[in-house]
Amino acid sequence: MIRDLWDGLPLWSQDLSSVLACLLPLLVVGLWLLRGFAPWPLVRAMLLRFRWTNALFVGLIAVSVGMGIGLIAQERGLRQGSARAADKFDLVVSAPGSEMTILLASVFLQPSDVPLLDGETYDRIARTETVEIAAPLAYGDSYNGAPVVGTIADFVTYLSDDRIEGRRWQAHDEAVIGARVDLAVGDSFTPAHGHGATAEEDAHDHSHFEVVGRLALTGTPWDRAILVPVEAVWEVHGLSNGHAPERQADHDPAEAHPGEHDHEDGHDPDHAQGHDEDPAGDHRDAATQDHEDARDPPEDHDHDDRHGDDHGAEPLGPPFDPAYFPGTPAVVVKAEALWANYALRDEFTEAGRSMAFFPATVLTQLYAVMGDVRQAMSILSAVTQVLVAAAVLTGLMILGRLFRRQIAMLRALGAPRRFVMAVVWSQASALLIAGTLLGVVLGVGATAGLSQILSARTDMLIRASLGWDEIRLAAIFLSVTSVLSLLPALSVLRAPISDGLRS
Amino acid sequence: MTLPLSIRDLSVPGADGPLLTLPALDLPAGALVGLRGPSGAGKTTFLHAIAGLRERATGTVLWGDIDLLACGAEARTRFRARHIGMIFQDFLLFDELGALPNASLTAMFRPRAERRALERRAQGLLDGLGLPRGDRAVASFSGGERQRVGIARALAADAPVLLADEPTASLHRAAAEALIEDLVRLTREAGRTMIAVSHDEALLARMDRVLTIEGGTLIADTSPDTGPVTGTGKMTEAGA
Repeated sequence: MIRDLWDGLPLWSQDLSSVLACLLPLLVVGLWLLRGFAPWPLVRAMLLRFRWTNALFVGLIAVSVGMGIGLIAQERGLRQGSARAADKFDLVVSAPGSEMTILLASVFLQPSDVPLLDGETYDRIARTETVEIAAPLAYGDSYNGAPVVGTIADFVTYLSDDRIEGRRWQAHDEAVIGARVDLAVGDSFTPAHGHGATAEEDAHDHSHFEVVGRLALTGTPWDRAILVPVEAVWEVHGLSNGHAPERQADHDPAEAHPGEHDHEDGHDPDHAQGHDEDPAGDHRDAATQDHEDARDPPEDHDHDDRHGDDHGAEPLGPPFDPAYFPGTPAVVVKAEALWANYALRDEFTEAGRSMAFFPATVLTQLYAVMGDVRQAMSILSAVTQVLVAAAVLTGLMILGRLFRRQIAMLRALGAPRRFVMAVVWSQASALLIAGTLLGVVLGVGATAGLSQILSARTDMLIRASLGWDEIRLAAIFLSVTSVLSLLPALSVLRAPISDGLRS
Repeated sequence: MTLPLSIRDLSVPGADGPLLTLPALDLPAGALVGLRGPSGAGKTTFLHAIAGLRERATGTVLWGDIDLLACGAEARTRFRARHIGMIFQDFLLFDELGALPNASLTAMFRPRAERRALERRAQGLLDGLGLPRGDRAVASFSGGERQRVGIARALAADAPVLLADEPTASLHRAAAEALIEDLVRLTREAGRTMIAVSHDEALLARMDRVLTIEGGTLIADTSPDTGPVTGTGKMTEAGA
């Protein structure tokens, strides 16, 4: 019944209750000691007497608490930022290899050498009925440190939720840039081959791109990416561009419809070969149906626009011809429905041929490792806090000895033991509360600063925020140390009053 | 309310033997008693013993009908809070606080209902002692002013007994004279019993009786006006 009641509470109410439960020892000790007394002027006097020492204590406590809070907040910010970055990547299919490497390459755009997935597998993915988008990715080039990624226009729309300033590309030499790329719509650039210091700036001198669109901010590494047609990347590297030469010569707007094969022949595995026999007629028929299809991707219409701009000689986007598909390190798959991803993962996990994985699952494994690291660091942080608390309490015991005569005077004037304890405990607790609050501010501030640095370095939007975990940590620290503060409070009562007055 | 003091077989042990032995002493309520003797003679030990501050003291210290030494530590504390005000040689004030918070210090652990009255009394005493009002910390006060605050603190609780340990020792002569005047006046006006340890002849001269302690024993009990005391309130010489 209590469990049901608890589960029925709003989440914020559960969190608040847990924090109050953490603070309960502090509240109980405080109420017990302070009940019926008004020691505040004395507490203030004692705090003022050694103000610089007390300020040092507060600073030490703040740093130790801030470390713990910063650690938790930063880890959560990283986790949320990386999860946000992978949000659009429900399923990734690649050649067999390391899921983590593919994840880093495809989601976080970290350059790496990975095996390529062949055209037939890509074709099979693209033709699967439940697949809405099958976006091949092509890496290898960069411009001014920004990775140049080849893909299809539908993926650009999907990635940005169609929030594009300008337009998508309509030709091989057009590009769409991420929100944080240092280019403007209308600018032209020549990509370098490779990344970083080893990039060959003049390797692609013959290749020029014009920026035609800019994506809205996504808070992911893709904000720093330059997206171009995948065909362009292949062509720049001297590869076939994914389309049969005769198709390029006879290209018709209707051929551009990616869904045409699905509807025309119902997943005919030999369909690719059909291109050689009567590709044009085949595609035209499919196009007619596709226009009535609710899943018809907007790219189809762009192709129409493109042809209207007299780009008819450049087939752009799917379908690709498996025979002329140079290979792709990864295919980002968006299924019609979430449930379909599981079947797709099973279907495209083939030993020696392809592997399919959920980036979220790999990230979860990564978080588990991060969680272990966090746990280890949390223990270190807790040890630091305990040491600082012990140092502060020892310091307070020493300071208590300096107030020995005043304490003895209070007892001589008839102050009960509980009152004297209340004064010393309140002094310690005031330092602990001030240090903890300052530590929370420091922790959040440090996390905010660190998040900005990490965001700039990883291009992931990492937000620092104060969560209930941090508040609970601060509450537990406060409660434990305030209970321990009874020790200096008790220690001042050990000395005989008469000795104290004479000391 | 005033309290007489009756002591029987008081002994305060020390590490190397008794610090103080006192077979018998009776002081009437409202008496002003001075305590003199060389340093280390046992004067402060006597003062602490009759305030219940020496835990290992034995014998009987009867304030009215309450045997303080028979009480537990907390009962002694409660007794002091209600019945004994204390003045210390070096004032023992909280330097960071003003005159009123120091003078009304005992209000902090008194029941809420009594606090306001005690603070009013403390303010009245401070005004009567000529101390300026305001929040100025007592750290900036002169010695005389600080001891006046100490007196106000001892009297604010309206205790019937006042114990003073060298109240003028830290003051220059003029300040000491003024303070003695105030202390005696305020004590007599309220009919309080005062026992003051002092080397200050001017203070001792204003007392009803002066006890002399040496080597932990009482060697003389005299009245400045009439000489050696006999009869009621008589001191029995220690060890005799």
